[in-house]
Amino acid sequence: MDEDEIEVEEFGFLRNYFLAKELGSSKKKSARKLSEIDLVDEEELREVAANIEPKHEKEVNDLISSYKSLYSEWLFAIRCGFALLMYGFGSKKALIEDFTTRSLTEYSVVVVNGYLQSINLKQVVITLAELLWDQLKLQRKTTSGSLSKTQQPFNTRSMADLLAFLDRPDLEVEECFVCILVHNIDGPGLRDSDSQQCLASIAACSHVRMVASIDHVNAPLLWDKKMVHTQFDWYWCHVPTFAPYKVEAMFFPFILAHGGSAQSVKTASIVLQSLTPNAQNVFKVLAEHQLAHPDEEGMPINNLYTTCRERFLVSSQVTLNSHLTEFKDHELIKTKRNSDGQDCLCIPLTNEALQKLIAEINLIEFLIQEREITQQQL
Amino acid sequence: MDSPNEHPPTDPLTKNNLQPFFVLHKASKSSESTARSPRKPSKRRLDSSPKVSLNNENMKENLKMEAFRCVWSKIDSSIKDVLRSINADVFDEIGRWVRESFNAICSCRGPVDTSKSSLPYPFVHNGGIVRNLFTGLVFTKNIETVDDILTFAELGLNLKSRGCYVANISSLDFSTKNGIGGCLRAFLRQLLMVDIEAADVSLLVSWYSDHGKYEKPVVVIIEDMERCSGALLSDFVNMLSEWSVKIPIILIAGVATSTDALRNLLTSHALQYLSTSTFFLKSPSERLDAIIEAVLVKNCAGFSVGHKVASFLRNYFLRQDGTVTSFVRALKMAIVQQLSVEPLSFVLKFLVDEGDNKRSCCEDLADMSEELIKHAFELPSYRTYSVNRNNHVELNAMSLCQGLSELQRLQELWRSRLMCLHEAGRYHKVALLDLYLEALDPESYNSRLSNHDRDSAKDKSLLSNNDKLFRLQKAEVTNQVIRKIRDLPAAKLSQLLKSWERLTEGTIEVHEKIIELQSQMVSEDVKSHKAELTDISKRHINRCRLNKEKDACTSNDKAMTLAGQTIRDNMLPIECMPFHELICFKDVDNLQSALIGDPRRRIQIDLLNFYKILKCGCCSNSGGTLSPSMHDTSIMYLLAQEYGDLINLHDWFQSFKVSISSSGKKGLKKLASPKKRKDNTYSQNNSDALIQARFCRAVMELQITGVICVMARCGGVTDELLNQNYVKEATRCHRMVKII
Repeated sequence: MDEDEIEVEEFGFLRNYFLAKELGSSKKKSARKLSEIDLVDEEELREVAANIEPKHEKEVNDLISSYKSLYSEWLFAIRCGFALLMYGFGSKKALIEDFTTRSLTEYSVVVVNGYLQSINLKQVVITLAELLWDQLKLQRKTTSGSLSKTQQPFNTRSMADLLAFLDRPDLEVEECFVCILVHNIDGPGLRDSDSQQCLASIAACSHVRMVASIDHVNAPLLWDKKMVHTQFDWYWCHVPTFAPYKVEAMFFPFILAHGGSAQSVKTASIVLQSLTPNAQNVFKVLAEHQLAHPDEEGMPINNLYTTCRERFLVSSQVTLNSHLTEFKDHELIKTKRNSDGQDCLCIPLTNEALQKLIAEINLIEFLIQEREITQQQL
Repeated sequence: MDSPNEHPPTDPLTKNNLQPFFVLHKASKSSESTARSPRKPSKRRLDSSPKVSLNNENMKENLKMEAFRCVWSKIDSSIKDVLRSINADVFDEIGRWVRESFNAICSCRGPVDTSKSSLPYPFVHNGGIVRNLFTGLVFTKNIETVDDILTFAELGLNLKSRGCYVANISSLDFSTKNGIGGCLRAFLRQLLMVDIEAADVSLLVSWYSDHGKYEKPVVVIIEDMERCSGALLSDFVNMLSEWSVKIPIILIAGVATSTDALRNLLTSHALQYLSTSTFFLKSPSERLDAIIEAVLVKNCAGFSVGHKVASFLRNYFLRQDGTVTSFVRALKMAIVQQLSVEPLSFVLKFLVDEGDNKRSCCEDLADMSEELIKHAFELPSYRTYSVNRNNHVELNAMSLCQGLSELQRLQELWRSRLMCLHEAGRYHKVALLDLYLEALDPESYNSRLSNHDRDSAKDKSLLSNNDKLFRLQKAEVTNQVIRKIRDLPAAKLSQLLKSWERLTEGTIEVHEKIIELQSQMVSEDVKSHKAELTDISKRHINRCRLNKEKDACTSNDKAMTLAGQTIRDNMLPIECMPFHELICFKDVDNLQSALIGDPRRRIQIDLLNFYKILKCGCCSNSGGTLSPSMHDTSIMYLLAQEYGDLINLHDWFQSFKVSISSSGKKGLKKLASPKKRKDNTYSQNNSDALIQARFCRAVMELQITGVICVMARCGGVTDELLNQNYVKEATRCHRMVKII
């Protein structure tokens, strides 16, 4: 083990060395910025993106159609108790829904859109239980059996109870199951371990079959062996479709859009929160000046010192300098020399972003004060 | 041809796409009419249906399903039986210990005073307070707890049948999130059969005094102790020990590592209350051997796997997964795939059925369509067989049925010989898995045969029998086992012969030889015994001893020769038998891809070799080099390969722009010279907005697949570069994309 680790580490060092070399030599090339490109508006970008003409449309359709020949094998695997896990590049949403609509007609199917941000799995389980109940009732009618009528409504039952119902071994009818289809089981709303545990317990129920898809290359890291072998019981299907991820990408930001300002406001605000209130106020003075004088190259250091002294934010130049060093270290400010030869300070953010940042700090400050007051009152 | 993506609406704004979940459809009414009733005998269905109806897809599906149920339930139950019997001794031992511990608790408990039963410290005989918690540590010999889930469930049932109250708690119940209440709730849920929000031990006490009447112990089984939160477990132990006499609780914990685990996990305070005993389960390889013997060698369900599949399973077990559970899963998958791929493989069902049903096999086969029967005679194994034998039989159901019974006969022979080898190997602890693998290898069988033919052509005096025997190639373990028969002492040899005698019942020739060998050994034994009794002269005794040793040698040699010969003659691997395709699964690639998905590799290969999957004419010619016709995301991924860990978005965008605009074979070389790129007048079919949109979408798709992640800032080697841009224009700061 140790030897392996050393080897990996050594490899890492070597790689970093060459990477650094490479980047060092191609400094000019890599320093180019997106601002050099004439970027279009986000709205326009989204509009155009929605209407991109697909490449290889015919081949993609043929490929997806070719998977139809596997439908019977998949259905058989499901009936034998496995859960299907579809993976491969391209959106598999349409393919899987087509498979379930065509092949799983005899079973109720619930679709979970894992690419959405939040999913209430308890509701899903309640729906599954209700569907199974309906299915059982239908089957009992034909076999002239009767189910106990004293049923507690499913939405008031606990999760354990619901799972126990879905896993009831005493049902006479064999092969009576409901199917849960989870698009992007590795999606943002399901990526936490609690959700995965819950999905695993659902998949393990004897009256539930699961069909799921993953897109992330590291998705299997979500599961341990118990989940993989005894609960999900995956039957892996490699089905690249090359179909565009239209629905799945709905919530992804466009990398060429102005998403950057949000990001830098966020990082700057995190940095500022970690500083003392005085330091924050010094930054605010600078920011206010920049907002009030958008055309100037920055705030001369002397002016900043005077204003800060007036407001009792700093007592000496040394204190101010220590604040400024902190700002510089975190890339919050930059020093420039103006036309008069004075050293000026400016914040490398657009006015819009700066306003957002100030609003954010003010809000946090307000909240802290509120909390302190409540604590004092208590 | 209509493509599936035309059916469900793909508009991203469709209501269903934005709902966290929705019901796609409810079970159609047809399901009631076709609701499967698997318990019904299949025969009726087959008889009542005319030949043509077998072509019906539904009927085929039902036959497949029925065959699966028969085969799998048989295999599943025999696996469970094997595991149960392998654990039987330990379970007995644990059961005895539980009883003894319970008696010990009872003996230190005074007369039961129900009025005081709700207080923790109990009525103790001698006035002292006893907080001893009897704890059984069950060593699983396996770091993977997944194999032992079933074992502990079985242990629970076993203890229940011995009159204990049992609760199985897993490490999930011991999570810090739920606190001590979580595990107590799980504990109470199993004993009291109700879900209680505010779990409390006093509930357990009142339940126990009502139900238990102080006559039964309460056993708590924790499957995977090492995974529990130490603090919680300590609290739990403390709590139980407080009540240990009032409610006779006995703890059983599965331990994967060593006794140190307990010391590492629990506080010393909790540790002092435990009075531990240790028990050992069998190791995973022992269990696997037992399963292979029961399922694949003894062939309980007629299903078999080919040599390549068997070696894949072995390697997967030994090198990758190490759990019996995954082996069993793979076996189940193999059956599913065999039934999916081979239309006639439902004959497996007939091989499972015993007694009268076997007779009906011919009748059932006779009901099948001619097409299917013909298919059987077109199998490669049958073709080779009929060519070799110059065999001309009528191609009908009857001869297929005969073929199948011949297949079974040969399998039976193979099985008994393998078991003979296994018996011989037992003395040297040779794993059945290795022998099984070699016995399945058609190549080693063929080389054995060819060696034998060559040798028999030569002058026999030049080669001794033994030399011929050992000329087996590849089959190293088999050779070793046979060779070591020579070293067996007489007692063990006669024991071995006895087991051989039992195993070879049915094949008269070999059986007779074994009996002959046995009688020879017995007569020698008697002779020497008599000699010892009657002749007291020392010299004679010495001579007798020498003779005896010599005879023993010859008996060992004879046994060895017999083993070699019978292996050569009777151990025909299944892949060399006609019609084996019907019951033997060989498609190792298919099994591997269904068993072990490898998204990390496969998705990247999808992106790089997309033209092979899409089979498009335009990109296949370019052979993987960049061309504008390629899938956008593939172009982006190929471009990304040119960079190190970090990609400059600007450069990437420009490269992409060039790639999709350039016609013909322009590619990576061009990217290195941005100036040239600027001068390039793009064929402006694509507006800038479109190119940017395509770029963004490709980046999104790469983000979704997880091969890149976008970073706002980067540390390390690029700090210097970042500073410049970040400061200059932070909103559009030059961002880096990290390849992972």
